Amino acid sequence: MARIELVNLRKTYGPVLAVRDLNCVIEDGEFVVFVGPSGCGKTTTLRLIAGFEEPDRGEIRIDGRVVNDLEPRDRGLGMVFQSHALFPHKTVAQNIEFGLRMKKVPRDERARRVREVAEMVRLTPLLNKLPAACSGGESQRVALARTLVTNPSTFLLDEPLSSLDAKLRRELRAECDRLHQELKKTFIFVTHDQEEAMTLADRIVVMRDGDIEQVGSPMEIYSEPVTDFVADFFGSPSMNLVSGEVIADNGALAFRSPHFSLALPPEAFVATPPGSVTLGIRPEHVRVQRDVGATADLALPVRLVEPLGKDTLLYFDIGAERPFIAVTEGLALAELDAGERVGLTLTRDCLFVFGGDGKRIARRPAPPV
Amino acid sequence: MTKTQRRRLTAAGRYTALTVWAVIVVFPLYWIVSTSFKPSDQWFSWPPVYFPSPATLDNYSDVWIGATSVAEGGQTALSLQTPFLALRNSLILAFGATAAAVLYGSVIAYGVSRYRLLSETRMFQLLMLRMVPPIVIVAPLSLYFSYLGLLDSMIGLGVMYFLTSLPYAVWMTKSFIDEVPREVEQAAEILGASRWRTVFEVVLPLVRSGLVATFMFILILNWSEYLLSLILSKTNVVTLPVELSKFEGSTEGRLFGRQAALSVGITFPLIIIGLFIRKHLARGFSFGMVRR
Repeated sequence: MARIELVNLRKTYGPVLAVRDLNCVIEDGEFVVFVGPSGCGKTTTLRLIAGFEEPDRGEIRIDGRVVNDLEPRDRGLGMVFQSHALFPHKTVAQNIEFGLRMKKVPRDERARRVREVAEMVRLTPLLNKLPAACSGGESQRVALARTLVTNPSTFLLDEPLSSLDAKLRRELRAECDRLHQELKKTFIFVTHDQEEAMTLADRIVVMRDGDIEQVGSPMEIYSEPVTDFVADFFGSPSMNLVSGEVIADNGALAFRSPHFSLALPPEAFVATPPGSVTLGIRPEHVRVQRDVGATADLALPVRLVEPLGKDTLLYFDIGAERPFIAVTEGLALAELDAGERVGLTLTRDCLFVFGGDGKRIARRPAPPV
Repeated sequence: MTKTQRRRLTAAGRYTALTVWAVIVVFPLYWIVSTSFKPSDQWFSWPPVYFPSPATLDNYSDVWIGATSVAEGGQTALSLQTPFLALRNSLILAFGATAAAVLYGSVIAYGVSRYRLLSETRMFQLLMLRMVPPIVIVAPLSLYFSYLGLLDSMIGLGVMYFLTSLPYAVWMTKSFIDEVPREVEQAAEILGASRWRTVFEVVLPLVRSGLVATFMFILILNWSEYLLSLILSKTNVVTLPVELSKFEGSTEGRLFGRQAALSVGITFPLIIIGLFIRKHLARGFSFGMVRR
């Protein structure tokens, strides 16, 4: 059982600021995912918690106790590494047993617990093999078992699934989830994969350039991103972001970009800064209609149609680097030809406007009904 | 000439050159081995005898067990120390000093690799120490040794072998230890292993092929070391190379057969060891075997 507090944590490597005055509390039994692009400081944060790096300043507390000066082995944590980091010269059983041997657990007890854990992660047939004979997924399960067996208060997982293929990744993701449910321990999981974060986390910590960008439940992060960075990072395909400007004309607000303009609901946003903004809308909130009627916001030629089975993705060119994407359910529009013009309607309630600094401009709360 | 013909001609030329070179290199070795089986009248005979007939083991029994036949023949009885004693000394000194150097060197190398225990300049200086010609330091050293009472002692010579091997041991093992991924060590650390445990249970076993290669390299140097042994020991601690060199002295005459038998005996142990650890040697000398 462990509650982990990070207080004003800072870490620099020479001139590079890896973690910038980070404050975060991870509750006991919580599954927290640190997510962000590479170089955002998420792995450094994990390594600070583990004790492999020393913070320049700030405190790390486990259950209220400052552990800055404790060796990694005295912090009661378990860690699974990205590279699995198995001991190549020891068999699977010896790998799993290692932590128990270091803790001077008697031989019989060791054998029993190795068997139990191997059963738990379905490794029993592999116990006498060397890691070199294990597949990627098996190696990862060995790494997990090796950590499980020592019964740590907290599991630190550093991109444990990134070296696996997509199918295995899904399987092991489910496995991590199951273990968390069963063990009710604190899990801190680092990944750059937003899908992993969304599916696993109780709470997501989005990091960028050594800073926390946003903390929240997966649904909060998805539906209420506080910056265009978070909005862009979560969701697949990712949110359409169009840069342009908002103009107020006789009380009516309009968004205008070089390639399209759009009337915004009057007084939709608390404040409307003059100058450049970014308009965001998720692909699933763009309605597509075949006839280019007067009701549609935009009429654009389709550039590419991607039928995925359950959904169909439509790509449009709006003169930006990234295409504008719409998701439609089913295959009804899969037969569209490239170049055909269709009408697009953007669901007004689901529009985001981000200011020039990337921060979202809050919507005016809906009037009570 | 077609392309194929030209290629064949080139190959033929290349193999001829290589064969000639191989003969030049191998012939002296062959000559030593064959001489060691020749009876004494064929040692000097002209035209040379290439295949000893009848082949005899006399040289071996004379040199390793006792100088009987030559002494009976009325020639100068030899005052050689029994080569077995020299063999024993060589085994203890070479193996002991080498093992100690590799062990100690690899621990230093670990410190250099992980904690920058020595800067790059210091590491280079360490190697530079080995570039001093031994003859330069051996005279002052023998003075020191006589003050310390280490002259002509196993300890004295052993310490010298250990110290002179250490730079090589550090340099070679460091390159292997550098290859061990940090994460493997950190995994051991967070599982509760102390630093020493991590080094001896995880790091060194991972680079064992490298350690074996280093061991072999240093063993060969120590096994055939001559100058230090000659100057720093007198009669108590004679090693095989010194023992062998006595055959070059004017008083012992020209006992080529026995000299050859001793030479073969000196070379043999190294070849045997090399064969035993062949697998590790091949891997150690082409390192990069640590799976990431």
